[in-house]
Amino acid sequence: MSDRLINFPALLAELKPECDALIAQYEQPRSALLPIIHLFQSREGFASPEAMRAAAAMLDLTPAVVESTVSFYTLFFRKPVGKYVLQVCRGLSCSISGANEIMAYFREKLGVGHLQTTDDGMFSYEEVECLAACDKPACMQVNLEFVYSLTPAVIDEMIAAMRAGTYATAPMAQTEAPAKTWQVDQNDEVSTGGKSKGAQDVSDPNNAGGLGDKAGVIMLDRIVDRDFAFRGRTRERVVLEEPAQIKELVSEDAHH
Amino acid sequence: MAAVVTPVLTAGIGEADLRDIAVYRERGGYRQWERAVRDLKPADIQAACDASGLRGRGGAGFPTGKKWSFLPNNGKPRYLVCNCDEAEPGTFKDHMLLEETPHLVLEGILLGAYAIGSHHAFIYIRGEFKAGYAIFMAALDAARKAGLVGKDLFGTGYDLEVTVHRGAGAYICGEETGLLNSLEGKRGEPRLKPPFPAIEGLYGAPTVVNNVETLAYLVPILEKGPEWFASVGTEKSKGYKIVSISGHVNKPGNYEVALGTTVNELIQIAGGMREGRKLVAVQPGGGSSACIFEEHFDYPYDYENIAKAGSMLGSGAFLAFDETTDFVAAAHNMVRFFAHESCGQCTPCREGGHWLETVLRRFVEGRGLMSDLDMMRRVSSTITGLNLCALGDSIEPFLKSVLNRFPAQFEARVLKETTHV
Repeated sequence: MSDRLINFPALLAELKPECDALIAQYEQPRSALLPIIHLFQSREGFASPEAMRAAAAMLDLTPAVVESTVSFYTLFFRKPVGKYVLQVCRGLSCSISGANEIMAYFREKLGVGHLQTTDDGMFSYEEVECLAACDKPACMQVNLEFVYSLTPAVIDEMIAAMRAGTYATAPMAQTEAPAKTWQVDQNDEVSTGGKSKGAQDVSDPNNAGGLGDKAGVIMLDRIVDRDFAFRGRTRERVVLEEPAQIKELVSEDAHH
Repeated sequence: MAAVVTPVLTAGIGEADLRDIAVYRERGGYRQWERAVRDLKPADIQAACDASGLRGRGGAGFPTGKKWSFLPNNGKPRYLVCNCDEAEPGTFKDHMLLEETPHLVLEGILLGAYAIGSHHAFIYIRGEFKAGYAIFMAALDAARKAGLVGKDLFGTGYDLEVTVHRGAGAYICGEETGLLNSLEGKRGEPRLKPPFPAIEGLYGAPTVVNNVETLAYLVPILEKGPEWFASVGTEKSKGYKIVSISGHVNKPGNYEVALGTTVNELIQIAGGMREGRKLVAVQPGGGSSACIFEEHFDYPYDYENIAKAGSMLGSGAFLAFDETTDFVAAAHNMVRFFAHESCGQCTPCREGGHWLETVLRRFVEGRGLMSDLDMMRRVSSTITGLNLCALGDSIEPFLKSVLNRFPAQFEARVLKETTHV
C-alpha cells in the first residue's frame, strides 16, 4: 500500500452517520453500496481498499463481493486519479461532429492516451461513451461537470485555468499520488490481497474475459508445459487423468 | 401534418426557472398530484393512462397502463422505479427534463407510484448526471418541505417516500432488471426473465420500471384529459414525444412533436441539413436501431411506421447523416459501444461484440477481408435473441443496415493485396 495522505479511521468515523442514513433509505442495506462508495470517493478521490472494506463491514458483505460490485462501474476508480478527470465523449453523434479532432487535440496537448494520467498527476484522460448531450458536440465532463461545444480554444483556456488553480470545478480529492493509469492491472493487489498465482498474468480485469482475452491460452500453456504449480487448482482434473500422480500429491500434502 | 413543435413537457423550459418549486406551482404544478391523492383512486389514473394510449418512452414502447396491470396482489409491497439512466447513444431528453424541470419529473413519479398503490418510489439517475442529481435532490427536498412527499399526504393517510439512487457508469443499468440489481447494490447484470419485474422486481416484490418521459406525461394527461393526448398521433402511437435530434443538422436539440410527424419534417424542424448537404440516412431510435434511408424519409415518425421501415422508434434519438459520412467508422463506433458496455454474462453478446469490433477496426484501418463482409451480414443469427437482455440484439442492426446500403464504403477498405512471405 502506498502512502496515504489521509487518516482513514478518522474519515470513517466522520462519515459513519451519513452512511447509516444512506442505509436507512432502503428496505435492504446492500442497496446503499453504490451511495456509500460515491461518498467515500468524493472524499478520497477514488474508491480506496479501506473504503471498500469499510463498506463491506457496514453492509455485512465480504470485501470480495464489494470489490466485484465496484469493479462493474466505470465511475468508481479503484486506484487514484489526477486532480481533473477529463472524460471526452466518443459517441457517434459527437464523433461525426468534430469529437475525433478534439480527442486528438487532448492527447497531443496532454501527452497522454486513453485511460492515462499525466506525470504531474494533474489530469486523468478518458474517452467515454455517449454522455447524453449530443445537441452540443463535442462534449465532455470535468470531474462529472459538463463542458459543451468544445474547440481547441476552449480546451486551451480550460487547461490553463486548471494549471493556475482558477478553474471553476473543484479538483478531485488527492489522498494518494496517482500512477500512470487508474485501471487495475492484472496483478494489482487491491482489497482482497492480490490474485492467486494461477491467475497472475492471465487476464485483463477490465475486460469481460472469455475467448476474447489471453487468459485461457496462457493457462492452457501452463498446464501443458507443466512449469507451473497448478496442483491445488486442478486437483480434480489430476484425479481423473493421472491417478498415479494423485497418490504422490496426497502423500506430499500429508507431510505438510 | 404540419412540421410543428408542441411543447408539453418542454413548455416553459428556457423561459422560466422551473427548478424553483414556487415557479412550478404558479404554472399549475403539483395540482394533479394533490387532486389525485384527494379525489382520485389509483384505478382512475390507470384508466386515464389506458385511455390516453401512452406507450413507454424509454425504448420498448410498451403500453404503460398494461405494464401496470401485470402487478399481482400478493400482499408484498409494490415499488415504482423511474428509469433516469439515460445512456442510449444519441438520446438526451431525460438529461434535459431532469435538469430543467425536475418538479415535473417528480410529479410524474408521484402519480405513477400512486397509480400502482406504491408507498416507496425510486429514481435511478445515471452516475454521470451529477448536476442533475443535485438539482433533483433539491427539488425533492423542497417538495418534502411543502408536504407533497412523505407521510399522511394532504391528510388522507396516504404515505409515499421517494429515494434517489445514483448509478456509477454502466449503460446496461438502463435495462430494467440490470437497473434493479444495481439498485440492490449489485453488479448491474440483467436477470433472467421471466419472472418479469412486475411479478418479482426490486427485493423480489412487484415492481414497475418506467422511463422519465413516460411518467412525466402523466401530469398533462391528468390535467388535460386522456382524450386530449389520444387526439394527436397515429392509430397505435398516441400523443407527443420528445425527439432528440442530432448529427448533421443545423440546429440539433430536443423537439417535442406529435407522433406521426414525418422524418423529413423532423429534419426541417431541426433547421435542415448542415451546409445544404443531403440527408442519406437516419438512425431513428438510438444506438440500438438500424438506419432508415431515402425511401423512408416521408414516413411518419411513430412506432409502427418506423418498424415498417425496418427499424424502431426506440428512445426517440434521431441521428441524421449526410453524404460525407464515413459509415465504416460509424459502424465501428456503434459496435465498439456495445462491446464496451456488454456486461459479459452471455457469451454471444460478450464474444460477438468483441470480435465484431475487432473485425471492424481492421476495416477502419483499411485491412478488412472480403470474407468478413459476408460474415458480418450473417453474424446476427449467432448473436441476436440468444442473450438474457436486448443489448446483444442491439449490436448489429446499425452495422447491417449501413453495410447493406453502402457496401462500396466497406469494400474500399478491404486489404488490396496479401503478400505471402
